Amino acid sequence: MAALSWAASLRAEEPLRPVSSAFMLEGGSSHLLDTYLSPLKYTGWHTAFSYQRAQAMKFAPATWRQQLDLGVEINNAGNPARNASLLYGNLSAAWSMSRLWRLPHRLTVTAGGRVEGNLGGIYSNRNGNNPASLKTDLSLGLTASLGWDVRLWRLPVALRWQTSLPLAGVFFSPAYDELYYEIYLGNDHGLAHFGWPGNMSRWDNLVTADLGLGNTSLRVGFRSRIYSTGVNHITTRTFSYSFVLGVVTDWLSVSRHRPLPASEAGVEWAY
Amino acid sequence: MTITPTRTLRALLLALVAPLLAGCHDVEQFPDDPEGNFEQLWKILDEHYCFFAYKDVDWDEVHGRYRQQVNPAMTGEELFDVCARMLDELRDGHTNLSAPFNTSYYRKWWSDYPQNYQARVIEEYYFNFNYRQTGGFTYGILPENIGYIHYSSFSYGVGEGNLDAILAYLATADGLVFDVRDNGGGSMTNVETLVARFTPERILAGSICHKNGPGHDDFSEPLPYYYNPAEAGRVMWGKPVVVLCNRSTFSAANNFVSVMKTLPNVTVAGATTGGGCGMPFSAELPNGWGVRFSASPVRDPAGRLTEFGVDPTEGCEVDMDPYAAIEGRDTMLDFAVNRLLQGGTANP
Repeated sequence: MAALSWAASLRAEEPLRPVSSAFMLEGGSSHLLDTYLSPLKYTGWHTAFSYQRAQAMKFAPATWRQQLDLGVEINNAGNPARNASLLYGNLSAAWSMSRLWRLPHRLTVTAGGRVEGNLGGIYSNRNGNNPASLKTDLSLGLTASLGWDVRLWRLPVALRWQTSLPLAGVFFSPAYDELYYEIYLGNDHGLAHFGWPGNMSRWDNLVTADLGLGNTSLRVGFRSRIYSTGVNHITTRTFSYSFVLGVVTDWLSVSRHRPLPASEAGVEWAY
Repeated sequence: MTITPTRTLRALLLALVAPLLAGCHDVEQFPDDPEGNFEQLWKILDEHYCFFAYKDVDWDEVHGRYRQQVNPAMTGEELFDVCARMLDELRDGHTNLSAPFNTSYYRKWWSDYPQNYQARVIEEYYFNFNYRQTGGFTYGILPENIGYIHYSSFSYGVGEGNLDAILAYLATADGLVFDVRDNGGGSMTNVETLVARFTPERILAGSICHKNGPGHDDFSEPLPYYYNPAEAGRVMWGKPVVVLCNRSTFSAANNFVSVMKTLPNVTVAGATTGGGCGMPFSAELPNGWGVRFSASPVRDPAGRLTEFGVDPTEGCEVDMDPYAAIEGRDTMLDFAVNRLLQGGTANP
């Protein structure tokens, strides 16, 4: 009994840490270039589905937060003559931990570190022995956001700009004219490359407005994804610019095996 | 210093943009006009083609000769003709320019020589149309109890079960003629699948290298690669084999002949193959025309380039007598059968 009371008292002193979840759908333009496949710039459409989960950290809920980002994207682009296409698909996962500052005028700023992994590839529908190009990387970098809570008449609106930039990592690239058949035969030397902004650049920007509609928010926004690599005399660029539509909910994680949470220490939101 | 939102935002943008500028990698784009398409084609070959030195081609000199034939007012077909003739300077059956109305093709590696193959002669006069077919294979047992397989293209998949069935059917034959005449190539993985049935041990199959930069002499070290025997339980062939080839035996088929020639129970007979040992890459021009070109050289087990073909085993050079063909005789096939009946092998 004493142990249970002690545990209960601890929980009462810990603030509640709601989880903020966002499901987003994107649609927009795509710009692809991969000189392993073609010397030409391709343009077309981009679509993506992503999930974002943010929560204040347990060890310092007032000042630190974590965020998980998962996504899948598909791009289909055509060459200038419109007689060939590149299909680009990518799975991404990232986790970040950021310091949170709550500033006057309902501004919030976060800055921190992020680890990100990507697995995807580009496929050409016209090439023979070089039909596809694997794109995969793992990186460490920076992430930051700027938020501003405003009201449009009586509608609460949370404006936010999120950005991330890898600083170092590792990515895959074959040699200049190395066929994947040669890799299949056993030539696995020099396929992993140290990435730094000089040879691997990625810049993601997400600008959103969460319109508070009761317990759920409607998210509208704009996203730009810029990814560029230059190694082994091969240049790859995948740029996309898209409109974002999503749903944001805030919820508390509860367990049927534990008492429902109630805290005298208040609530620490992720934003 | 007080941290204000404006200062924070400015510092953030600066910190984010500066490293990104170092990582932007631009690529020269040519305009979609006759000169732009010509220059793009020349540059693609200049940076990626792998046989300039081997074929003693001065690509800069070629540029000078053909560039003066290009003018802004020329039609697409006129531009195609100029570009196709420029590509013919490479004497390469793997180098083609594809437009909606035509595909350029350097043919002299076979058109300057006798064809040396007529399928109808074999199907009618040797098998009386009573042969078997599966996938890309036509096969049967000749009257002299010699097995015969013709593989028409390495583009046709080679199923392990198909090979088991074919070799099991031919198992009672005293020898095997493996005919790859008029086989224009296809997938290199099918070469491995086939060779694996003819060797009981791991063999050196050749070596491959690639360009590691845009310079004409930028190549990686050749990577040796090996073939293993087929997995346990598969039907193997250990009796004598004669591989028949002609000038139209090209690319992956050429590679198949170069590997089989090293096996102790195999003789290569017929004509020098058509060559084609550069594995091709693809690219394109601003006007949408596709271009294919040799980019990755494959050497035979002795380290030689077979771009100009694989010679038959010494003493096994034979052509098809066209007059005999009219009377229903394939003199190349007859040579191969007689060779097997005499028990001759190239590498005892």
